[in-house]
Amino acid sequence: MKDLTVRIRRFDPDKDNEPHYQTYTVKVNDGARVLNVLHAIHDTLDPTLSYRYSCASGQCGSCAVQVNGEPVLACMEEAKDNSTIDPINLTVKKDLIVDLLPKLEEIASFFPKKEIVLPRKADIDQIKPLRDCIECLCCVSVCPAVDVTTFLGPTAMRQEMRLALDPRDNGDRISDAVRDGLFTCTTCQACWKVCPKEIQTPAKAIEKLRARANKRGFTLPRHLEVAALVRETGRSIPRTSESFLEKVPEVIEPAGPVRATVGLFIGCVYNLRQQQSALDAMEVLKRNGIRVIIPKEQICCGSPLIRTGQTDYLSTLQKRNIEAFTSRGIETVLTMCAGCGSTLKHDYTTPFAVIDINELLTQYGIEPPARLPIRATYHDPCHLLRGQGVRDQPRELIRQVVDLVEMPAICCGSGGGVRSGNPEEAAALGKRRGIEIKKTGAEVVITSCPFCEFHIAGHTDKPVRHVVSVLLDGYREKDRMAGKK
Amino acid sequence: MLADEVVDCHVLVIGSGGAGTRAAIEASQHGDTVLISKTIVGKGGCTTMAEGGFNAVLRDEDSCGIHFEDTMKGGSFLNDPELVNILVKEAPLRMGDLVKWGAVFDFTDADVVAQRPFGGQRFPRTCYAGDRTGHEMMTTLVEHLDSTDVTTLQEYNVIDLLKDGDRVIGALALSEKGDFFVIKADSTILATGGGTKVYDISTNSSSGTGDGYAIGYRAGAELIDMEMVQFHPTGAVFPYDARGRLITEAVRGEGGVLLNNKGERFMKNYDPQRMELSTRDVVARAIATEIQNGRGSPNGGVYLDVTHLPREQIETRLPVMLEQFLKFGVDIRVTPMEVAPTAHHIMGGLRITPECRTTLPGLFACGEVSGGVHGANRLGGNALAETQVFGKRAGDAAGRADKRQKNVDVAQLRRQRDRLDRFMNGTKSPSLVRMLLQQAMWDGANIFRTGDGLNQALAAANVLADKPIRAQTPRNLAECCVVENMCLTASLICRSALIREESRGAHVRTDIRQTHDAGHSPFGHTFVSKKGQGIEKREVPK
Repeated sequence: MKDLTVRIRRFDPDKDNEPHYQTYTVKVNDGARVLNVLHAIHDTLDPTLSYRYSCASGQCGSCAVQVNGEPVLACMEEAKDNSTIDPINLTVKKDLIVDLLPKLEEIASFFPKKEIVLPRKADIDQIKPLRDCIECLCCVSVCPAVDVTTFLGPTAMRQEMRLALDPRDNGDRISDAVRDGLFTCTTCQACWKVCPKEIQTPAKAIEKLRARANKRGFTLPRHLEVAALVRETGRSIPRTSESFLEKVPEVIEPAGPVRATVGLFIGCVYNLRQQQSALDAMEVLKRNGIRVIIPKEQICCGSPLIRTGQTDYLSTLQKRNIEAFTSRGIETVLTMCAGCGSTLKHDYTTPFAVIDINELLTQYGIEPPARLPIRATYHDPCHLLRGQGVRDQPRELIRQVVDLVEMPAICCGSGGGVRSGNPEEAAALGKRRGIEIKKTGAEVVITSCPFCEFHIAGHTDKPVRHVVSVLLDGYREKDRMAGKK
Repeated sequence: MLADEVVDCHVLVIGSGGAGTRAAIEASQHGDTVLISKTIVGKGGCTTMAEGGFNAVLRDEDSCGIHFEDTMKGGSFLNDPELVNILVKEAPLRMGDLVKWGAVFDFTDADVVAQRPFGGQRFPRTCYAGDRTGHEMMTTLVEHLDSTDVTTLQEYNVIDLLKDGDRVIGALALSEKGDFFVIKADSTILATGGGTKVYDISTNSSSGTGDGYAIGYRAGAELIDMEMVQFHPTGAVFPYDARGRLITEAVRGEGGVLLNNKGERFMKNYDPQRMELSTRDVVARAIATEIQNGRGSPNGGVYLDVTHLPREQIETRLPVMLEQFLKFGVDIRVTPMEVAPTAHHIMGGLRITPECRTTLPGLFACGEVSGGVHGANRLGGNALAETQVFGKRAGDAAGRADKRQKNVDVAQLRRQRDRLDRFMNGTKSPSLVRMLLQQAMWDGANIFRTGDGLNQALAAANVLADKPIRAQTPRNLAECCVVENMCLTASLICRSALIREESRGAHVRTDIRQTHDAGHSPFGHTFVSKKGQGIEKREVPK
């Protein structure tokens, strides 16, 4: 037995004007789950604490709560000392009990065909990964789109895809999905990262439904324009001036000895819009012994097409990009756009390794920059944090230059074709980021994705910089100080 | 005012697991149907936790006759043959309903529903959806329920049946806030599931508190074979709070072997023919014996080993097991599980006819709360089949019953109000009473039983039932009712176990010497009701 202290959010709408936290110290067994802590509190200290559970073995989805801000199943999550336990982010009925019914009722039901149709094994195998859902609604509780627009949410989309795959079903699942917000998902990946069953709703449901919607002519006009542009120009945004690829040589040699050689995959936005960040990156790499090879025939990675369900042209892009690097014998491809990085890692089968610039710089270690007396916050790009699992590396780099104030990692609204297709939703999410940024009191916002850089800049009065640009500032300051001496 | 709200309907279904949901779907074809659930429909009960499968004869090489024989033999011939006959004949039809309604069962390469071997069966007839079969069924049933006119009352606790003379005319319930509801119905179906939560170590969900047995008994219904408690051979033993969590029989169906601490496949000493796939009563006793005789694992179990199976087979056929054990730091692909018996299922329950009529007019029962289908030991895979076969039958018979005038007995309402007031003025912690009961039952009414042990457990249950338990707020009233139900259910188990002076199936009396085997027992069902108790005698088969 051991003592454990937890802080629990309490709220009784019949009595309380607003929620408050109550701290409990209870005796529990070694290996106790969060649910066992709640039981112990209820049984020995405070029978008025309300929480919901049923199977206590991860199969019914009744007991989802937030532990230190992360949605988990209370019955499966090991309890840790000094945790804070909150209800998941849905309407609270009392304490840790939230109202699941309105969202559960929105999940579509099977609608059998009149004639008897049997599925085949191939159908079953496709459906099964979408069928494990226990409807705990963790996904809905973290979905940024649900909050700001008309979107039934991740698990409702999962169900539409499950039904669309079933030959026994008679519904028009594609029209229903479009009606219920299919194109509002920013593909931020938050839903499946908190899913206890790890159901990959963005890739296995949203993008697949969008591909089917595309065949049915539901693709949004702005997304069609992007696809047409990719076909015509190889790029997802129009060219307005000289591109990054035109500006730089094919090989950039480092200032000192070569510590590593990488091929650079630049991506459309750094190539044509946010070029300064890319140029800053070249300076930082040069300074840290990284030799960079830049194949000029590389084109769009295809991410804007995959996210919006327009995959016809994808294999052409993949083939050309892969050849651009393999023909030069490149073993490691560097990305600095979070979206391109995630796409190359997950939607390509590559003979080479793909590494994000934050991973590369922390792996090899960097020359220490000067410290700048600046308070900064960091915005986690969805496709870097959840798409690639890169969380600590950018922070490790940033902390070498400036003071870092954290803010919650929530989508800025620019992904999944939402900025172009649903600008109002993107703006609403961007505005929320602006509020969070303001709360931190930071003077500068740092991120590591050109879409986030561009989008957030429209919703804050603070400068938005790439990690490498801030590092370069640190180096310049270091040089200036050395020059003074 | 005696009630906060009154609801009137044709059929009231109490319980939203596999049987209750199936019953509600069926009943709704005949009239207004209300489905009342202690939890959220689809999330509560034990069906959604059922892992292994659903027995149904689907292949030409199999037959209902063999399924019947397997079930009777597995149940030590205490089963009601008529109910078993219905089970085996209708299970394939009910399986067909589920597939028609969109269930995603595993299929074979030949595009037919796959089946796996389960204990005590001579043919692999257990249909499955990985090891989340019950969840698959519930998802399907809830989706189908949505297409009916059934009204659901979710997170309401039924605290007693409503009586008009001898007839059951609905139920009394509490909302989550503790408001008092009267639900009048022409027919009432009890589908409240089981009650092995009365034991310290149990596989059951939070709903497995025996409410149906208790409220049925209080209303005057007769229950049979309540001593027949199935201890599932394989429950988790570690960590402490996970003790009793179900490790599905499918683990053995897929080829898992049981080993003692000497690495010996000990089932060869207990049932060399069927080995790990013997019936649950036999395997549970074998494991308990190995542990008692010092051949157990460090955490007090034996080993269940699948490390010899292909990783892919474990990942696709037993994904829930894999995930659950990984959460507790054990990778079953490389490390054997530690397992020990855990209270799982109550074979006994309300006596029913083939139409699921109980001994009380107006009251029907189906699923685990009813008795007679499984006899003295249930075969794995027969419970899910039972929920669908008898759920449909109960819904149909209840739905076909006549509409009638229902006179609410004001005195009954007043008595219930008094009961609730008593809880509000109580002094003892219901949680403490519950824990003491669970420990007493585990100690005195476990796998191996004696008259003395059972009497002690019974005395404990009776003493605990009289404790003045306290509801801190009206929201805690339901919890007090549940603890009372647990005490009553426990006492019914002990009383019946004392009446059955023989060892049969899951019920083993180590203090009684007997010469007959199960096939030649002179005894039939035990029965218990407010009117009395006893054991049926039968002609000994030659």
